Amino acid sequence: MARPRGRIGWLLLYLALQPVIIVLCILARQIGPPLPPAVYELSGVELQDATGQFRSVDLPDFRPVSEDATSSAIYRVSLERPTTQKDVAWSIFVPRFTTGVQFEVNGSMIHDTHRNVMSRRPDRNTSAIATIPESLLHEGRNELIIHLVTWGPVGGYLDSVYAGPDKVLRPVHDQRSIMFETLPLILVAGQATLGAILGLIWINRRNDRSCGLLALAMLIGFFQYFVSMPASPQTLGLVGAAVVTQAPLVLHFIVRFIDMPPPRWLHLTFVPGIIIAFAGLSGQHDLLHAIFLPLGPPTIALCAAVACVLLGNAALRGNRKALIMAPVFSVMLGCALNDILTVSRLIPGERIFIGWFGYSIVLIVIGVWLTWRFVQALNDADSFADRLVKQVSEAEVKLRASFSREEERARAAALASERTRLMRDLHDGLGGQLVSIVALAEQPRDTTNTIGDAARAALRDLRLVINAMEEIDGDLMLALGSWRERISGQLRAHDMQLVWSVQSSHGLPVYPGLRPRHVIQVIRLLDEAVTNATKHSGASIVTIMIETIPGPDGDARGQISVRDNGCGFAVDAVNGAGTVQGRGLLNMKKRAALCDVTLSVTSAPLGTTVSLLLPADFPEAAQGG
Amino acid sequence: MNTQTERAGPISVVIVEDDGPTRQRIADGLSDASAFSVLQAGTLSEARQVLGSGYPDVLLTDLQLPDGHGMDLIRDVRQHSQTTEILVISILGDEESVISAILLGANGYLLKDALLTDIADTVRDLMRGHSPISASIARFIVKRTQGVKDPVVGTDLNTAKLTAREIDILWGIAKGFSYADIADYLGISRQTVPGYIKNIYRKLEVNTRGEAVFEALQQGLIKL
Repeated sequence: MARPRGRIGWLLLYLALQPVIIVLCILARQIGPPLPPAVYELSGVELQDATGQFRSVDLPDFRPVSEDATSSAIYRVSLERPTTQKDVAWSIFVPRFTTGVQFEVNGSMIHDTHRNVMSRRPDRNTSAIATIPESLLHEGRNELIIHLVTWGPVGGYLDSVYAGPDKVLRPVHDQRSIMFETLPLILVAGQATLGAILGLIWINRRNDRSCGLLALAMLIGFFQYFVSMPASPQTLGLVGAAVVTQAPLVLHFIVRFIDMPPPRWLHLTFVPGIIIAFAGLSGQHDLLHAIFLPLGPPTIALCAAVACVLLGNAALRGNRKALIMAPVFSVMLGCALNDILTVSRLIPGERIFIGWFGYSIVLIVIGVWLTWRFVQALNDADSFADRLVKQVSEAEVKLRASFSREEERARAAALASERTRLMRDLHDGLGGQLVSIVALAEQPRDTTNTIGDAARAALRDLRLVINAMEEIDGDLMLALGSWRERISGQLRAHDMQLVWSVQSSHGLPVYPGLRPRHVIQVIRLLDEAVTNATKHSGASIVTIMIETIPGPDGDARGQISVRDNGCGFAVDAVNGAGTVQGRGLLNMKKRAALCDVTLSVTSAPLGTTVSLLLPADFPEAAQGG
Repeated sequence: MNTQTERAGPISVVIVEDDGPTRQRIADGLSDASAFSVLQAGTLSEARQVLGSGYPDVLLTDLQLPDGHGMDLIRDVRQHSQTTEILVISILGDEESVISAILLGANGYLLKDALLTDIADTVRDLMRGHSPISASIARFIVKRTQGVKDPVVGTDLNTAKLTAREIDILWGIAKGFSYADIADYLGISRQTVPGYIKNIYRKLEVNTRGEAVFEALQQGLIKL
């Protein structure tokens, strides 16, 4: 149990760290931007009241939020250039004001910040500087009138006023310009670039919504940055809506980023932005004013609060992304809190707004992080693909090796089986006949003719075995063609006539299962039938009938018959008996059965017919025996 | 010697065969002196010697000779005498040797164990322009017309010149039909069928005068 408690303890400590970050942000802001030497600060500033009288006022001075589109306050102060600095150019410098200032020296207007479109926003921390034309500057007291023009939702504010040598005041102004004009511009440009990158990522990966949300927030922020003020209520409404809408966008982003399913009610946070936009479109300044203030800032605050709760909750559950996101969000919150405290004058110091800064930097940091993560993912995918390609090629090499091994084995097996078959075929035919020739040759009586017959039979069989090896694509007729040549010589030698009768132009059906071993068996059966006819029948004519007849199943079956016109024999008498003929017939039937061939023998005094009814197709597994 | 069909004297035959009994057996088949005048040779050099005195009407030659190959002889004879009919003497009548010989100009083959009467008949038929063909040779040729390449023989058997009728005839022979049956099926005269066979052989014959072809045959590009 110690471990979880310890872990929760750490998480609580981590959450407690967040307020510390916020406070640190606010304190950091108290390190003020550069100011000119205090000796050049003008004192005795007076403010014109409603009656037109000037009364002494302490700077910084705060004016209330204007009721109208713009309102202005007039300050008066006198300045005197010491005679020692007669030839030195003097300037007037106001480090901080809200929202616009005009400088009037001895009744002549010398500067109006309103003319600079980029600094007309109440949320910019711009300073103002103006060199006093030499012709306007008298010796002794000079009157400086400052018009403070206020617009927007923030009240008027005038910090201290400086008058002094231009070479002292201008560097300060330039430093502030870098901090409060150039830097924000760089940030907003970076924001736009990252926004575009994330947007492109989202367009190509629609399910990566966090990228899309952040891109949208960034791009909205970028565009609204360049809207100048004061502006028409329509524009103001859109800018207000844009500013407010970024809060729910970032909130949605955070929710998606920490892999939380966004609750439906979360979409309601977009409603205030839409209302503000419509209020602006109405064109009535008062309405916009009345709607923006109670809707806009509270929405942002609400979104921030929800984000805090969700992040804290997720961080407590150990969500890694929330753990990283929380301090980042705290920085943003700290900066925003600083602005609120500054506007409400709860903390001292210049009215420097850093909320926008914090927001922009945080967005960029997150954007960079997301892009980084995306690139990492691409790298991972690349290396994964590389690994995969490597594995596949390795597997391919292995597979090829094993395939060639397998092929080699198959080839060897095929060769072996072919050798076995050939051996069996030669053994059955040629071998037997050669042995018979040897036996005949050793007999004392004259066996020349018998030896000749046996040798011819051996040669015939050798030709059969060789012939049968040629692929004939199931056309038994092709094998019968060669057989015809062989037996025609044989019959001629016995002065017998061969009648070759093919009953149809096709002869026999084509057998897809026909293999050399089947051919050899069928031809040997036919050979045996013909040899029997030449040896025993005393016939003068042998007829080979090749036909296709309807089989028992009604299908087309091939039939080959060997018919002689000899003396015939009693089939029943020899069937199964121990006679030579009986054994011969039995052997033929066995041989026929191996190929599914049905052998039938009919014999009458006028001749014998041996018929081979071929199967519908030859059996694959049949082994010649 | 150059008479094509009708002739007065006996048919001159040269038998080239290294096995004495076999050679004698074939000579016995042609023993009718009024019909045949036979010269015998046991080796390639003997054969060349015999042929030196003139080319016969018929050359019967074995392929495997002690001092060379029968193919060389076939090629020489075909180059020098278009009228000599050449038969290969073969044990098995196997396609590989017979087809190779036909490519070089042979007109068919004679089985070594052919019946004696058949030997004389074959030679006479040959002189009448009837080239012998077996079912397996016919089968071999028609298979090549179907685009089947034989990796063993590897011959570029040029069957493109064969006509559909010639291929039909080859099919008929391959399936064991008699010339008469084939003629009936195809509606042609029975007497013309043997002429078709000779024509088929002539079409398959490669031009052996082209040395390149012979070199290819020699080097085994066209395996013999």
